[in-house]
Amino acid sequence: MDALSYFFMAWLDPRLLMLTAIGTFAGIYVGAIPGLSVTMAASILISFTFTWDTNSALALIAGVFLGGVYGGSRTAILLNIPGAPSAVATALDGYPLAQRGEAGKAIGLGTVMSVIGGFVGIIALAFAAPVISSFALMFAPRDYLLIAIIGILLVGSLASSSLAKGIFAAALGVVIGLVGMDPMTAQARFTFGNFNLMGGISYVAAMIGFFGVAEVLYQMRTIDAASVKQKIGRMLPEWSLIRKYIPLSLRSSAIGVTIGALPGTGGDIASLMAYDQAKRTVKNPSRPFGKGAYEGLVAPESANNAAVGGAYIPMLTLGIPGDAVTAIIIGALYIHGLRPGPLLMVETPHLFWFVVGSLTLANIFLLIFGLGGIRLFAKMVELPKGIILPLIVVLAVVGTFAVQNSITDVYWMLAFGIVGYFLKVYGFPVAPIILGIILGPLMDLSYRRAMISVRDDPGRFLLEFITNPLSLVLTLFFLLIVISQTPIWKRLWQFRAKSA
Amino acid sequence: MIRKYVIAVGFAATASVAFAQDYPEREVLGVIMWGAGGATDVVARAVTPAAEEALGTSIVMLNRAGASGAIATTYVATAPADGYTLLYGAENPQLYGVTGLSDLDYRDFYPVNILGRGIGVIVAGPDAPWDSMADLIEDAQSRPGEIRMGSTGPGGIPFTIGAMMNSVVDYDVTAVPFEGEGPGLTALQGGHVDFMPVGASAAADLIAAGTVKALAVFDTEEVDALPGVPPITDDFPELESLLPWGPFYGVWVRQDTPDDIKTTLTEAFATAAAGEDFHRIMSARSNIVMNISGDEAQAFLDQWQSATTWALYDVGAAENSPEDYNIPRP
Repeated sequence: MDALSYFFMAWLDPRLLMLTAIGTFAGIYVGAIPGLSVTMAASILISFTFTWDTNSALALIAGVFLGGVYGGSRTAILLNIPGAPSAVATALDGYPLAQRGEAGKAIGLGTVMSVIGGFVGIIALAFAAPVISSFALMFAPRDYLLIAIIGILLVGSLASSSLAKGIFAAALGVVIGLVGMDPMTAQARFTFGNFNLMGGISYVAAMIGFFGVAEVLYQMRTIDAASVKQKIGRMLPEWSLIRKYIPLSLRSSAIGVTIGALPGTGGDIASLMAYDQAKRTVKNPSRPFGKGAYEGLVAPESANNAAVGGAYIPMLTLGIPGDAVTAIIIGALYIHGLRPGPLLMVETPHLFWFVVGSLTLANIFLLIFGLGGIRLFAKMVELPKGIILPLIVVLAVVGTFAVQNSITDVYWMLAFGIVGYFLKVYGFPVAPIILGIILGPLMDLSYRRAMISVRDDPGRFLLEFITNPLSLVLTLFFLLIVISQTPIWKRLWQFRAKSA
Repeated sequence: MIRKYVIAVGFAATASVAFAQDYPEREVLGVIMWGAGGATDVVARAVTPAAEEALGTSIVMLNRAGASGAIATTYVATAPADGYTLLYGAENPQLYGVTGLSDLDYRDFYPVNILGRGIGVIVAGPDAPWDSMADLIEDAQSRPGEIRMGSTGPGGIPFTIGAMMNSVVDYDVTAVPFEGEGPGLTALQGGHVDFMPVGASAAADLIAAGTVKALAVFDTEEVDALPGVPPITDDFPELESLLPWGPFYGVWVRQDTPDDIKTTLTEAFATAAAGEDFHRIMSARSNIVMNISGDEAQAFLDQWQSATTWALYDVGAAENSPEDYNIPRP
């Protein structure tokens, strides 16, 4: 009963209701601007809330978090510029959809799927938090390595024409991700003695450059071509379409919750893995993946919003941040005199239900705000290129600078834009670069950590892949993905299908 | 061209006269050397509202994490010495010389206020067979390298405490580095490392909840935040000369900032750090409020740097000799 009253607290108090709504609305539009990330929005807004009471702060943050993760996909669909790293996967099929004149439908479908994903995350948080958090603790460095390796197999899904070009792009990303001070030994890597490189290359700068500026340059080749006319009939997706994708959405959401709950991985990896999962499991997509398949939009959109609920799980049960945003929330809780940690649930159980309640509320606002104004957004794609392309460049520069007020980042972003243009011209996919930047450091650190843990004994290192139950499951999963792509396996399946 | 130059000089001259008298006449930038939500960030954001009030202007907070804070430190060191750029920092710059990260340290800055310090505590998994630090060291000596210690890389709290321990007793463990104390403690709870020296602020709640076990406080006496945890000197009295030791947090400006601006800032932060809100947050984080500035703060900084760098150097954990940076032996 108590739990229920705290759950509905944000719903019934007009002030908290307003704050959640404002947070969600602000989150969507801040998240949509490349470079202005959820993390930044949360850290700025949270400093306003230090003088407020805790509940107001938490309600606002819940809205910003859910709204921001969702907002990132707006620009990914419309302009092929992900507003946040967790929307990179959304651009892969979302943008082709907009180019077919289905921007409105893509946003509508994406919104509904985000909300479904959000609810899955919230339900997992509400009813399975202790189970999931103790499961997350089981992941050893070795298991993070396996996750990163499974993730990097995505290159196969992201490389459209040539696998070799995809691998090249991913390798480039890994190298970019390794630049800077090695967090384990404080050794400078690939910095050439330049101090500005010590902190590494911002992957947001790379993302905005490779997607945003490179796309602008590429579009300039056809600057006089008429822009795509958008279908402005029905904007809300049909119920039959939604129903058809609910199983895929639930599968993707499960991936989102799990990856989101692991400390050290978040919505960016979750949405890419969900996209990969969709591409591997959906036999007859509405269109080929990468050409505007609805499935390619449903999976990452469900997963990245499900990861929000996932990220709250270790934060509320163990005091461990699930990602960068929850790390900020933990800091804010201290300022508010609370003590995030395993005792939080014991000492202040109402806080848990309040968070669950305000997340649920924010998710409902997300549906309302997300489906409103689609027509206007869809029309944005119809703007003449002479107007929209310079606007994107300005946005890209401002967004990159805003990440950490660094002009060096802006130079990087522009350079990546130019490199990205030539990569596009010669048929190299750019998404694997981002994949490499995100997964490279995870692979590097997890591998070394796992090796150090067994005192650099390769025999023991390899043996533990089989002797540890969790590692064994992940290893088998990895092998299955690899083997299922081999010609022998495919022939075997065709043979069985024929004889059946 | 010449006219432009003259105007520019004119502006610069009026500006430099103006700030000495009317400081602060605009908002101040506060650069935090660690990421949002971290230990330094929480202390910085806890003291700032009251400092803004005392100063009569707003302080814009900016997290410039990276390279153990060396990026933020360099940023503030190259900004004008006009009191409009503050450095919210932790202990790290005191080790930049010996770890080869940068030639800067806090001798290049003026300590506006050393707000507080944290205490180290050595924690193990809840099912660990050891009940004291002496047990742990004995076990480590009997099977060298088998026990895994969570670390955060060179110059971090676990690394330094490990090095200081090594300077008084000979033992061998495998240090597994993580990105920070949080991820290290997560691995400890999952059983992926066996013990970890950390700041008490990161571990106090875990100890209270029983998800980790405290073996010793890295101090000369028991501390209020961790009742019942014995001081390390019970088992290893030789450590006394190096203690108290721990992370610390504070606010700095460039050393060549005009004196009256230093005074204004020092007064504002002294008021803020004496405030009730700040004390409440610091004790919730198991930190000890120091609120010292000027010569007293400088003496603390020098003592800390000398004790730590030489301890690291003596066990072979420092890249450069403290002597090269004119750091006297304690």
